[in-house]
Amino acid sequence: MAASDRPSSIDDSNEREQRYNEFVALLTRHDLSIRRFVRSLLPSRDGVEDVVQETALECWRKFDDFAAQNSGQADEFARWACVIARYKTLSWQRDQGRDRLVFRDSVVDVLAASALPQLDRLEEERRAMEGCLAKLGESQRQLVLSVHSPGQSVSSIAKQSGQKARRLYHQLNVLRASLQQCVEKQLQQELRHG
Amino acid sequence: MDDAIQKLIYQAIDQTISAEDFDQLQDLLEGSEEARQAYLKAVNLSESLHEIAASPTPNLVDSTRDADPQITLPLYRWPSVFAFRSLMIAATALILVGGLAYWLGKQHLSSPAITEIANFESDATESQIAGHATLRRAVDLQWPSDSLPAKVGDVLPNGRLRFESGIAEIDFFCGATLIVEGPANLDIESDWSVRVLQGRLRATVPPAARGFLVKAAESEVVDLGTEFTMDVTADTARVEVVDGEVMLRGGKLDGQHLHTGDKGTLHGSPSSEETNHMITATDLYQRDRSATLQRYEEWRESMRSIQTDKRLIAHYATSELDQRTIRNGADTGDSRDGLLVGPVDLVSGRFGTASRGLNFKRPGSRVRTRIDGDFQAFTFACWAKIDNLNQRYSALFMGDGYENGEPHWQIRDDGRLMFSVMVDDSQSVSFFNDRDQRVVKDAGLHHVYFTEPFWDISKSGQWFHLVAVYDPASKRVQQYVDGQRISDERIQPKFQMDSLRIGPAEIGNWGQPFRETPWFAVRNLDGTIDELTIYAAALDASEIQSLYESGKPLGY
Repeated sequence: MAASDRPSSIDDSNEREQRYNEFVALLTRHDLSIRRFVRSLLPSRDGVEDVVQETALECWRKFDDFAAQNSGQADEFARWACVIARYKTLSWQRDQGRDRLVFRDSVVDVLAASALPQLDRLEEERRAMEGCLAKLGESQRQLVLSVHSPGQSVSSIAKQSGQKARRLYHQLNVLRASLQQCVEKQLQQELRHG
Repeated sequence: MDDAIQKLIYQAIDQTISAEDFDQLQDLLEGSEEARQAYLKAVNLSESLHEIAASPTPNLVDSTRDADPQITLPLYRWPSVFAFRSLMIAATALILVGGLAYWLGKQHLSSPAITEIANFESDATESQIAGHATLRRAVDLQWPSDSLPAKVGDVLPNGRLRFESGIAEIDFFCGATLIVEGPANLDIESDWSVRVLQGRLRATVPPAARGFLVKAAESEVVDLGTEFTMDVTADTARVEVVDGEVMLRGGKLDGQHLHTGDKGTLHGSPSSEETNHMITATDLYQRDRSATLQRYEEWRESMRSIQTDKRLIAHYATSELDQRTIRNGADTGDSRDGLLVGPVDLVSGRFGTASRGLNFKRPGSRVRTRIDGDFQAFTFACWAKIDNLNQRYSALFMGDGYENGEPHWQIRDDGRLMFSVMVDDSQSVSFFNDRDQRVVKDAGLHHVYFTEPFWDISKSGQWFHLVAVYDPASKRVQQYVDGQRISDERIQPKFQMDSLRIGPAEIGNWGQPFRETPWFAVRNLDGTIDELTIYAAALDASEIQSLYESGKPLGY
């Protein structure tokens, strides 16, 4: 890491403040994309926080480089940050050792390549998902949301509800598949308005 | 995607996958783009669900709570962190870390997007119309210059209804019908009562409307299931029962009952003048019919002169329908006929039963045509009757593939007309959609020219003359309703398109918008079109006004 890239080379605090504001604005705007990107390279949610934080710090360290090359190109920020995030993911996985399931480096690489072009679709996808969830019946919606609530899992829900986990998984996967279909349909309908 | 792969993917996401299966999944991910896409989709799906579930108000049903949306954490709050510049200078590193921590923390505190919930299925509020009666028929009605004319089919609201001459037939929601001869001045009070200040009228009150009240002078005529006539001027008010019985309240005949053949003077001096030569419903029907036919013939006459216009590309009049083909009335050499496809219903046109219209209310219905050639401008005009705008977009005239230079003419579900021409179908545009309050993506570079809303459910069933003028030469897009210009927008340089085309196209629907999938957008017009005209030129305001005047139905 090139220490000389630090923004300490900027003497004018005004300019530094401006640069920092710019950075935070970009980071805030693209946080969902970056987070999702990292999440898709890690088999579980564990580690996402760490990697995202590492990525954010590294991005700030290198922000002058980015700004110099991409003046006014806000859309480039997410792509650039995701390239950094990919390396941060790999190094985080290495640090973890092999005591848990992690993707091979080669898998991380191909997943990253596939995920990168989709960064700008995530926001729309999630909105479409909200619409699709609203179309579900109350109990189905509760099931699918409760399983995805923080600290919950299918097995814990199965235990609480007295249902067989296998059956619950089956229901859940059917629901997920239909939500998936609904989201895709929704997104297509958004296209070609005029 | 293969069920087995899908299962592995979800097992990985749910963290229930075995080490062996995980290896297998990794092989699949490495080897196949399709598997990777499936995996990414599943992760995104589960993350969306996770974020929605973790949101403080995962409120997907009760849309009333959307009225007070949680504000998205605004970016402009950030600079306030640096309100004290000295702090900034002294502790840049600290703030940086703090700022990032804030950023990271925020991820858990709120998921701003979740509060803007799109509720696709149900509207929180039921739509309502204010009114007590409808104007069912109108023959030769002359309206005072200071009042807005009512059209046939209009819902008549509370309040004054005035006309100088002519005959109106008014159906009250309770079931009573009034035939009123002008000059007339009525005050519609409710579904069950009307005050007559001036006018001659015949009231028919079926059993369902028994109790209907007509007020004149200080009296009230309470109908007990009858037909009666009234003649009201400034000085006199007389009533005569044609059939049945009425009761009088107030005034000098308070409490009296009148039966078939009885006459009474409610106000002013008694007169021997007969009032039962008042027009009857049958007379009115005949008069209406013959006036409508005459109007229809006048229109056909004017249509012939319209069809000789050299600027005309196509003219489709449903009354000229032959089996399933609408002949193109324009003299263009090639045919460009329209072909009925699917369950198009043949219904009455805007000149009553004598004329014909095409109803597109079922999703499969459409009229297909093909208009080749290059054009320098467009004027689209049609007579349309909209029954409802249930679909987000209802098609009037649509170029099939929406390729470069092709037009799209539609109505949005909030009653706005929208016209657009594709400028570059290889690009895609993102724009902020005011109504949805978010950025939406649209395929192809184009701009949609909207009008203010001209239609709402109270206009259901009324005929409208709609016009869109696209003129690259003057760089303007203008839209008209009933001869009045309601929008005029400049064509921005990036949306300028000089070479216009149509090609395969549809009236009343949109064919196969997504060629790559079996899905199609439901955009059929829930309504009727009985005439559609296309010019390869920009018509001016006076020409459009005269198109409206020559084509408007009786009672408009």
